[in-house]
Amino acid sequence: MERVLVNIPSNPIFERVVRASADELGQAIGLSPERVEDLKLAVSEAVNNAIDHGNQREAAKLVEVTFVLDPDKLEVCIRDQGAGVDQIDFSRRIVEEHNLDSGMHRGFGMYLISSLVDEYDVSSSQQGTVMTLRLYRRETTDE
Amino acid sequence: MSNDVINREEFGDVAVLHIMTTSVDTNSAAAIEATATLSAMRPITVLDFGNVAFINSAGISALLKFVVSARKAGNKLFAMNVSPHHQKIFKMVEMSRFMPTIEERDLAAYR
Repeated sequence: MERVLVNIPSNPIFERVVRASADELGQAIGLSPERVEDLKLAVSEAVNNAIDHGNQREAAKLVEVTFVLDPDKLEVCIRDQGAGVDQIDFSRRIVEEHNLDSGMHRGFGMYLISSLVDEYDVSSSQQGTVMTLRLYRRETTDE
Repeated sequence: MSNDVINREEFGDVAVLHIMTTSVDTNSAAAIEATATLSAMRPITVLDFGNVAFINSAGISALLKFVVSARKAGNKLFAMNVSPHHQKIFKMVEMSRFMPTIEERDLAAYR
């Protein structure tokens, strides 16, 4: 098992640093190009969620991202320093006409995460929220 | 109508908005949204994703401004040069219902 730790301030520009790390590490463990794209998007959503909703964009608060490389999977833990949340809504969100008309254009992130990774879980307390994403290395090509 | 992230091209009833940033995300969303004006559009408006390597939900939200503007004006909105991965994501959130894909060769008749 190998670990890679990336700490970023709560500024959205640094999400790209984490995403670039996910790209490299996904390739390093042998995920297919399509699965690497899935990983990058899921990590991007989780990190942006930590920056915006966890740390409320307070630059002094860090988002800590730990990549754990196993022979059979890549696990990514995204930890913020916010006040915690009661629950996160991973339900299916799509573009709907009435939402367009009302100007509600957000909320796809958690649904995308839940659809793109093999496993995910969330734990939250007053010390912050930790989202863990797992993608397993697959022998078969199912994309 | 053009800025660092959108390069606008117009011919006949068509406006092609070439997205120049590789990353349609939180950081580029404001500049993209700023271009989603009625005056930037034509009866047929095409977003060109040929340079785009990454789109996340913040980027999708920004792109939805084009959908809203196109609907208000009664314009047709299409996406062009969308990668297979982004086609998958657009399908997941049903963005493709409001912004179907078009092939570059289909625009030839308008040039």
